[in-house]
Parts: sequence; C-alpha cells; structure tokens
Amino acid sequence: MKEFFERVRRATSGRSADRGAGADGSDPEESDGPAESGAAVTDGGVATGSDRGGTTGDDPGALRRAFDRIDDRLGRDFVESSPFWLPAFLLMGFFVYGAIGWNVLISLTDYRGFGTVDYSQLDFDMYVRAFQSSAVQQAAINTFVLLLGFTIVCLIFGMLLAILLDRRVRYDNSLRLIYLLPMSLSFVVTAQFWLWMYDYSNGIVNQVLGLVGLGPYNFIGNPQLVLGAVIFALVWQYSGYAMVVYLSALRAIPDEHFEAAKVDGASVVRMYWRVIVPQLRSATISAAVVIMVFALKAFDFLYSLVGGYRPPNGADILATLMVREAYQNTNWAYGSAIAVILFMMALAVIGPYLVYQYRNDAL
Amino acid sequence: MSQLQLDKLTKVFTDDDGSDIVAVDGVSIDIEDGEFLVLVGPSGCGKSTTLRMVAGLETVTSGDIRLGDRTITDQKAQERDIAMVFQSYALYPHMTTRENMSFGLEESTDMSTDEIYDRVEQAAELLGIAALLDRKPTELSGGQQQRVALGRAIVREPEVFLMDEPLSNLDAKLRSSMRTELQRIQEDLDTTTMYVTHDQTEAMTMGDRIAVLNDGRLQQVGTPLECYHRPANRFVGGFIGEPSMNFFEMTVEGDRLVSDRLNYPLSAETADAVAGSDRVTLGIRPEDIEIVDRPADDHAFETVVDVVEPRGNENSVYLMFGDQETEENPETFVAIVNGMSRVEAGEPVVAHVPEDAVHLFDADSGDALRNRVLDDLDETEPRV
Repeated sequence: MKEFFERVRRATSGRSADRGAGADGSDPEESDGPAESGAAVTDGGVATGSDRGGTTGDDPGALRRAFDRIDDRLGRDFVESSPFWLPAFLLMGFFVYGAIGWNVLISLTDYRGFGTVDYSQLDFDMYVRAFQSSAVQQAAINTFVLLLGFTIVCLIFGMLLAILLDRRVRYDNSLRLIYLLPMSLSFVVTAQFWLWMYDYSNGIVNQVLGLVGLGPYNFIGNPQLVLGAVIFALVWQYSGYAMVVYLSALRAIPDEHFEAAKVDGASVVRMYWRVIVPQLRSATISAAVVIMVFALKAFDFLYSLVGGYRPPNGADILATLMVREAYQNTNWAYGSAIAVILFMMALAVIGPYLVYQYRNDAL
Repeated sequence: MSQLQLDKLTKVFTDDDGSDIVAVDGVSIDIEDGEFLVLVGPSGCGKSTTLRMVAGLETVTSGDIRLGDRTITDQKAQERDIAMVFQSYALYPHMTTRENMSFGLEESTDMSTDEIYDRVEQAAELLGIAALLDRKPTELSGGQQQRVALGRAIVREPEVFLMDEPLSNLDAKLRSSMRTELQRIQEDLDTTTMYVTHDQTEAMTMGDRIAVLNDGRLQQVGTPLECYHRPANRFVGGFIGEPSMNFFEMTVEGDRLVSDRLNYPLSAETADAVAGSDRVTLGIRPEDIEIVDRPADDHAFETVVDVVEPRGNENSVYLMFGDQETEENPETFVAIVNGMSRVEAGEPVVAHVPEDAVHLFDADSGDALRNRVLDDLDETEPRV
C-alpha cells in the first residue's frame, strides 16, 4: 500500500515538475501573462491581440495560444465558480473514476486469497488467463446474447405496445400504468416471481402450455432454455420502459404526418414502416442504451433466481462470473480483470451514444 | 380530373359528455371539373372538417361525396386518388425532398422507379425546387417547404387537390407571390381544387368560385364578385371585404329607415323590397361612402372624424356621429377615401351614403332584402 502511494506521488510530482519546467523554460513571459492581459482588458483588447499575434511564429507562441484557448473555453469565472462544481467533481473523480482506476490496477497484479496486494509486479497475466478460460468465453457469449436479445425484443415489444396505445385504444392511461408497473419491482421480486411461473410441475407457464399440448419444459434447469427464459422475464419487466419512451416520441409526431401518409395512399403498416418508425430513431437509441445497461447489470436477477453465486447452467454471464471469482474464490485480481472486460463492453455500448449526443450538442 | 360533388354533407361530433356538436350541417356544393373552389369562413366554421371529409380523414355522418361517377363517401383515404396540402406542410422530416415527393407515387401506384424519378423532376422543375431535391425539410426555408408540400401533391396527378390553408404560415410578401403562383399552377394543371382559407383576400383573389361557410352551414356559393356585390345575407356581406361592410340597425317606418342617429329616406322601389320587415340592417361598403363638404341631399349625414389610417393609396377614415364625441366607446363606421385627400381626426365632415350602394338585410334572418344596384355584374367579371 505504502509503495503504491509512493509510486503515485513520484509519478505526479514528476509530471508537475515536467510541466513547470516546460512552462517556465519555453516562454519567460508566461509568468506575467495574466497580469498583462488583465491590464490590457482595461484599455481595450486590440493591443493584446496584436501582441499575441506577433509571437505566433515559434513554438512558445503556439503553446501560449493553446493556453489562451483553454482559458477561453473554461471561461473567466473558472476559479470563482469552482466552489460549486469542484466538490462534486472531486467526489465523483475519487469514488467513481478513482475506483475504476484502482480496479484496473488490481487486475494487473496477482492478488488472491487473504493478504496484501503486491503492486511490484504488474502484468496482463489475468487477462491472458481470462481470454483463455472457456468459462469466461461462455459467459461473454451469454452476456452478449442477453444484451442483444433482451434489448432487441424489448424495443420491438415496447414499440408495438406504444403504437397500439398511441392509436388511442380505450383506457390507454390505465394500460400504460399496467405495462410500466413491472419496472418498479426489484429484480429480486421479479426473479422469485418468474421462478414460480417457470416451475416445472406447478408453474403457470407450463400449465398454460399444457393446455395446448406442449411441455412441460424445465425452463430453469435446461441450459438451452434458461437464457431465453431469463430474457423473457427481463423483457416482461423492461418493455414498459421502452413503451413509455416510444409513446412520448410517437405523441410528438404531428397528426398531419399520419394523415399525409394516408392521403398519399400508404396502408397502415406501410405508413408506420416508412413514415413513423424512422422518426423514432433517437427514441430507439436512448431507450436501447438504458436497456443495454440494465442487461449488463442482470446480476441481481440471476443471483436471486438461485439464491447464490452459481447461476443455472447456461445462464452464467460476466457479472455473475466476476462476483463468483472475486467473492467466492477470492481471486481478486482475476475478478478485477473480468470486471474490466465487462466495463469495456459497457463502454462500447454507451461510448458511441455519448459521442452521438455530444455531436448533437445534447450533452 | 373530375367533378366533385358534396351532397348534403353533415358531420356531427359527440362531445365527451355525450352532447352532439354539429360541425358541418348539410353542405351541398358541386365543384366543376378543373374549377378552383375556395371554402372560406371564420375559425371553427367547419371548413376544415368539410375538407377532411373529402380527403377521407374524417368519417361522414350523413350525406354523400361523389368524385366523377363514383361515390367515395365510405372509401378509405388511401383509395380516393386525392392529394392534400396541409397547413403545416407535414413533410416527412427524415426524407429528402425527392423522397418526400416520390412517397405518394411509390405507395399509390405501381410506377417504375425511373418513371417516378422523371415525374418528380418535372414537378420540381415546375415549382423551381429542382436544386433542393436532395435536401431534408429542416434545411429548407418556409417558402421552400411550402413548394415541396405542393410538389408532393402535384406529382401524384390526382383527380382533386385539397389545400388546407397552405399559405397561412408564410410571411405577407411571400404569401401574395405564392397566391399568384398557385393560381398559375392550378390553371396549368387544370385540376379540380378545393382550397380552405379563413383569409377573405385569398378567397377573393384565387377562387373561381367562393363557398362561404358559417357555423357549419353554407351561406353562399358564387364568384368572388357575386359574393362581394350580391351577398346572400348579412354574414357574407360582413365577412367578404376588408375593411368590412358597415352595418346600421334600422327600423322601417313607411318609406324611410329610422334609428337613433339616422333618418334614411328610401326610394319607392327600395321601400317595396323592405315592405315585409319591421327592422332591417342597412349595410354599406366603406368605399361607397363619400365624404363631401356639405350635405347634397337627404342621404348625407353630419359626422366627426375619429381616426384616420393612412395606407398611401387610400385612407381608412373612422367616422362617428357628432353627438357621440363625449361617449366612452363611440360607435364608429369606416369610409375609404382617396389617399391624397386631407382629412384630420376631430374634423367635422359630411358622409354621403348613396342609395344605389346600400344593402338591406332582414334584421332577424339576416337574409338580403335588397342588394346594391350594379349596371352589369358580368362586365366586371375578370374571367368566366
């Protein structure tokens, strides 16, 4: 632990020393830059502008311009406003990004069992081990299937529900509530609830299927069915969310678009397919991102389904594997490596969305 | 291209509390092949509902709609072969101009892609939007969007165009230039057109005929000048024309009309026309009131100028009767005079109300009892 802080201190002081040297050495005028620009503001900015323009030729000028640009971007009240954003910034930085960083660091060690972490030997052994492990591969595939299957089914189902509700069926307010209610349940409740529904001998699903001469199926015990059963239960819980997102997007489309399409001769299905659904693109993206993140967090559902670290065969996902490795087998470093892989998957989902939002100035 | 017939068309909406609201009440209009008919009326008069029934976007409570020789009353909107231009344009935001214009053809016909491409190019050429074909609606100005909306209707080459206040989202200058352009296009294509507006100027300038609607009832169908000079009732007289016709409530006393402030003698001919009524409404268009120096005959009245609105070519002069000067809200009436004449607020003037130009309406029913005298209406017709 001591070594770690030592290392961090050395790294940071080195970096700041570097920067100090660079700033001092490259441009002697830099130190009185702020005073100069402060004075210049009172007698008009033109003089400073031309002044700075004069030094553009060489490297120090470019550096200074970059600094100016940062100043411009952060604004003049950067320091004055810091009491408002700095505490949150620091807390967030420490507890979220600091923790992520620490987790990455642990994943590079060989830490396992009880004892202290040894940071002296950092390597990618755990990642190599993870990528070679068939358990991790299977869990990654399951995670991927769950992610895609759950998201796609949820979106399609939610969109169909929203379209039906948008066509002003009777009691649409109460229907909306009924569809949205499952989302307020905790995963623990949903898991227990569906465990009963899927019960081999008494479960209502098998009872109903029995009426039409099917089954009974062992939904939880059969490794081929269990992932589908889990996806179905999650869709039941989250399609209401997709529906609400789609419904508000649908309500924002003016009636004239529906009417114009009708007058243009499009059938109802064609109208939705060509005119309405394409306009739901941004709703799809935002709903998909939220649902995918839920899918990656399906750990509590699977944990509650069996009441333990070992989910049913065929339903092991990275999240359950990660927790099992870390807390059951005390393979801390290995668990951390799986956590980083999971984090990267989540980032791959949410990253493009953030970039998209940023480009559209929505962030 | 066909004749469009509305036969006793009625639309009744049922309110939430179960009461019935009659939006359109027995409207019958025959629109000739290639005719430009303007449906005009104040907000909520049922003109848009009528148009939407023709489009198939509202169900018909009773009555019939016939297009050519087929009855389309119960047909779906998709099957009617009608194109509609919406007030909000209703362009599909995710499609380019070209895709917007092709959509109708792709959905309603089995034309090949090449044919559709040619048709769209042609229509875009006609409307001067060929350069905008690959842009999205958000990249177009209001006027350009309007043209695309029009283009989307034109490429279909439908039997009927329906237009629901298509110009009301444009600024005044653009609106007046689009007005003429729309007329030109309609004349070129010679397609039966039903055009809804609340703007009587649009109705007057664009329509071959005007249908005036109020409270769901058809008030009058006629050429713009017929509606202007021979209003069937007081509503039409007041609605068509800007500024509106002046109205005075009068009592018939033998061969003269009397009110608190006016005493208007009638010729024998006019007196016959109002013989059956006790109370009538006298209507006179602002441009027919003459402002003179001194009373020439007993159709002239002493007034005081309240407000003058100069408009360059002409002035609107708001007049009130002399004895109202001390009142809070004096009852004023409008005269239009030449822009060059000097009239100042507060000035006493004499208003001459020529009997030839006077309209008389029954005070209860509002029906016209006598319209102004015109030498020959047909001579003032701009087109037949």
